[in-house]
Amino acid sequence: MASSLPPAANPPSAKWLKLALVGALALMVIGAALFYYASEKARDAKLAQTGNEVAVTINATSCDPNDLTVPAGRTVFRIVNKSERAVEWEILDGVMVLEERENIAPGISQTLTAKLAAGTYEITCGLLSNPRGTLHVTPSANAESSRPAPVAFIGPVAEYRFFLAMQASGLTKAVQAFADAVKAGDLAKAQALYVPTRTIYSQIKPVADSFADLDNAIDAYADYFEKKEQDPGFSGFHRLEYGLFAQKSTSGLGPVAGKLVADAAALQTRLRSLDVAPEKLADGASRLMARSAAAAVTGNDERYSHTDLADFEAYVAGSRKIADLLRPISAKAAPQLSASIDQNLDTVTKTLETLKQAGGFPPYDQVSEADRKKLGDAMQGLAAGLGKLNAAIGLE
Amino acid sequence: MIEREKNHDRLDAPASPDRRRVLAGLGLAGGVMVSGLAQAATTADTDAHVTDAPISDHMREAQPFHGLHQAGIVTARPANGMIATFDVLATTKEDLVRLFKTLNERIVFLTTGGLPPQLDPRYPPSDSGILGPVVVPDNLTMTVSLGSSMFDDRFGLKNFKPARLSRMTGSPNDALEPELCHGDISVQICSNTADVNIHALRDLVKNMPDLLYLRWKQEGSVPVMPRKPGAPAESARNFLGFRDGSANPNSSDAALMDEIVWVQPGKDEPAWTHYGSYQAVRIIRNFVERWDRTPLHEQQQIIGRVKATGAPFHGKTEHDVPDYASDPEGKATPVDAHIRLANPRTAQTQKNLILRRPFNYSNGVSKAGQLEMGLLFICYQADLEKGFITVQKRLDGEPLEEYLKPVGGGFFFTLPGVRDKKDYLGRPLLAAAGLA
Amino acid sequence: MKIRHSAAMLTLALGLMAGTAHAAVSPSELVGPVTDYKIYVTENLDELVKDTKAFTDAVKAGDLAKAKALYGASRVHYEGIEPIAELFSDLDGSIDSRADDHEKKEQDPGFTGFHRIEYGLFVTGSTDGLTPFADKLMSDVLDLQKRVAGLTFPPEKVVGGAAALLEEVASSKISGEEDRYAHTDLFDFQANIDGAKKIFELFRPLIEKSDKAFVKKVAANFATVDKILAKYKTADGYEYYDKVTEADRKALSGPVNTLAEDLSKMRGKLGLN
Repeated sequence: MASSLPPAANPPSAKWLKLALVGALALMVIGAALFYYASEKARDAKLAQTGNEVAVTINATSCDPNDLTVPAGRTVFRIVNKSERAVEWEILDGVMVLEERENIAPGISQTLTAKLAAGTYEITCGLLSNPRGTLHVTPSANAESSRPAPVAFIGPVAEYRFFLAMQASGLTKAVQAFADAVKAGDLAKAQALYVPTRTIYSQIKPVADSFADLDNAIDAYADYFEKKEQDPGFSGFHRLEYGLFAQKSTSGLGPVAGKLVADAAALQTRLRSLDVAPEKLADGASRLMARSAAAAVTGNDERYSHTDLADFEAYVAGSRKIADLLRPISAKAAPQLSASIDQNLDTVTKTLETLKQAGGFPPYDQVSEADRKKLGDAMQGLAAGLGKLNAAIGLE
Repeated sequence: MIEREKNHDRLDAPASPDRRRVLAGLGLAGGVMVSGLAQAATTADTDAHVTDAPISDHMREAQPFHGLHQAGIVTARPANGMIATFDVLATTKEDLVRLFKTLNERIVFLTTGGLPPQLDPRYPPSDSGILGPVVVPDNLTMTVSLGSSMFDDRFGLKNFKPARLSRMTGSPNDALEPELCHGDISVQICSNTADVNIHALRDLVKNMPDLLYLRWKQEGSVPVMPRKPGAPAESARNFLGFRDGSANPNSSDAALMDEIVWVQPGKDEPAWTHYGSYQAVRIIRNFVERWDRTPLHEQQQIIGRVKATGAPFHGKTEHDVPDYASDPEGKATPVDAHIRLANPRTAQTQKNLILRRPFNYSNGVSKAGQLEMGLLFICYQADLEKGFITVQKRLDGEPLEEYLKPVGGGFFFTLPGVRDKKDYLGRPLLAAAGLA
Repeated sequence: MKIRHSAAMLTLALGLMAGTAHAAVSPSELVGPVTDYKIYVTENLDELVKDTKAFTDAVKAGDLAKAKALYGASRVHYEGIEPIAELFSDLDGSIDSRADDHEKKEQDPGFTGFHRIEYGLFVTGSTDGLTPFADKLMSDVLDLQKRVAGLTFPPEKVVGGAAALLEEVASSKISGEEDRYAHTDLFDFQANIDGAKKIFELFRPLIEKSDKAFVKKVAANFATVDKILAKYKTADGYEYYDKVTEADRKALSGPVNTLAEDLSKMRGKLGLN
């Protein structure tokens, strides 16, 4: 792509820029202070309501008290640092950190909310050399106490990262073949490769979209750009889709395809070292399903190729992967929700199946409004179920 | 000079003053625990379940570790013993020193008893736990000896080899199996209970995998006996059904032990060996089926004693001394009877006396369906050549050989005792060689 | 000297062993290594499928010499990932069981897999009748690949795998019992060690924070084992196990058993049950 940047009309002077920055910063500070004040107040109010705050004072050589007992479930600890150095406070299960508050300045107090399962834990008390305190968590009827141990998420998250790595590797290979077809000017082949290539990305979208720059480069819609399809910033799958399906030509797409190859490679590298938080799984899936539910009605996602259904199917597959990974945990911690998510998944899958025709999915512009709504509702149901999952399995 | 209080009261004897101290030291309520034999819950005890643990009042008794000599030699033989031999895996002098220090530390802990370190349950436990959470001493002794192979070129100990230490060679009747012979180090493990010995062995295996390679082991036991108040002590029987140990020198006679068992200064032995001893170990298989099919009269002729009482043919009790002088032709006691060959009781053969400390062993079944059992023979002497080697030469060709087959064992030098907490096993040798 | 059960003695004894680890590990820190381990296992399975294909093809083609030559190397990628492969006990039994595991030993109809083919190739000295075993082995390996792909790796099995591999070495590789007909044990020996070392290396940075001495000791023992095994490397594999000298077998036992002891503490050090 060879178009140049639009010339800036009147570049702002450096002085103005500085002033504006200072002003913005000042506003931010005030805003942050206000927000902090408001949230502290809200928190205080909440505490006053529940009244279950447990104070722990950290002295130079020990915690006071050094032996705590709390019921299972949610506890708010107020950590008061009366020592002369900044400390961190941790709740440990063996060598595992369950919860921590870092860098509590001398003379300052901070709170930490922990949801703990029954058991005996250790608490750190300032210096590493200081003896640790003991935290007894007694069983309670509180439903929240069924929080799984943090180690329970290691396997599912690792497996998801493995899935990401495999998909990303598949994506770079598929994108290369796709780009080769584009560059060779083989319109039919490029069109045929569009869906199988793109849907690999769709499956990992819940986490892959963590990288805003790459997601914008790979998967942005023309709407996001000032000049829509004509905008030089418009790139990635949809730019290629536009060329292949709306303009029905590969001309001028070579550089776009080349960039997509580079972006997919960059994504593969970044995903390999991305630290995925366990709450990201259900969050990402829920968010994506909610967005897809809206897109199901408008049909705006694959507006040039009308291959939306294949895309939805990939989103659902990606969400199913996440639900599968969390199921061993959710089935125990929240059996009803877990079952209802499974049902939502089945409903969405079946709805997609019924739309399938002999040659695969029909173009989305041929799908009736009623069917679109039905599909959107099913996806919304799944989004809602997945949206409740984190809280139900102790991830917030 | 440090003198160890000797503890030669028998298992079933009343608790000695030493033991009282042990018991008090362990904080046991009730003070002195005088008890009879270790015995299982009796049949009269209707509340007892079959899997209830047998009861013993001796579990907390401990043998002293520190002293001029190692324990486990003149210490009264408890019911269970084991010999385990190891090859040294250490290749550097530093690791050799670490080996002896670690061995010393483990033995101190095991023979003292106590609470093993408690670890986070996510770790393997520090102790096998087979004795429960608290390790009991149960009269455990662990006696460490070195084979002649320790004095090869590896560690520069060549010039410090005890003068009479050799590698065991086969006697005519032997059928030695290489995997049951020799070793750089032998550890004799003895206590009241087989499980305590196994616990000790597993502790060494677990804590010293980089230093010691287990070569072979043989466990054994001696039968316990009912107390007979007023009667003299009796020797335990071996698997031939005869009393074994009747003529053993009196281990409570310190002067006698200095003469027979302990290497003394003033001889042609390296100074570091003083107060140590030579250990000879033999795994002697008995053909018990065949023995049991041998007429009693013949059995007694072969051994040289009356089977039921253990008395020599001249006497009434096992402690009576056979009178060979008046029987030069062997009319009463055949000249080739085992006891006569082993100890001819002449002035000339006094220097061949050895202190025996054997156990009976029973392993499994041979390919021919015969019982694999016999004697784990262990003896100690100040001079290996004058002691076991000479005695064995006298026994070569004895009629008893038809019923015996030595299959394993080895010669070792038992290290001098560990004087105090600053000292450790092997230190005199290492110091002599400039390693410590 | 008095016999005393003194507190000082007890303290001395208590002080001998290392207590619990001190630095903390966050569960999220374990995710990366577990992910990497699954990638490692997946790559090994890809290789295993290739090697098994070549091996079983040779068996089925009746090419005795080639099959024998391929045998030792064909198992390497299985032995390296045994902690995971063993999770599927049915497949482990049909792929890697030894004659001893079966009532009728070599004649047992349930005796299949690598060692059954090994028996045919090296003892019977023929590929006759081995085709069904070759087909089954190939399909079992493909099945394993499929099942592992769908498996969420339990972190404690991954970390515990290092110790499990060393137990395997300590109990059956030192003695040369594994490939008793072909005597290609050294392939397996090295593969077990490599598999354990991979796990150790993946988690090493997490343990290094709290226990440098442990990491150093383990790494040194791995190096010692590698050094001894390297003596027996040939152009296309390893010497037969019967070539390993008595001295080297003994020299291997120290580091192997020490590794088994030390690696058994890895789960504890990483806070896993």
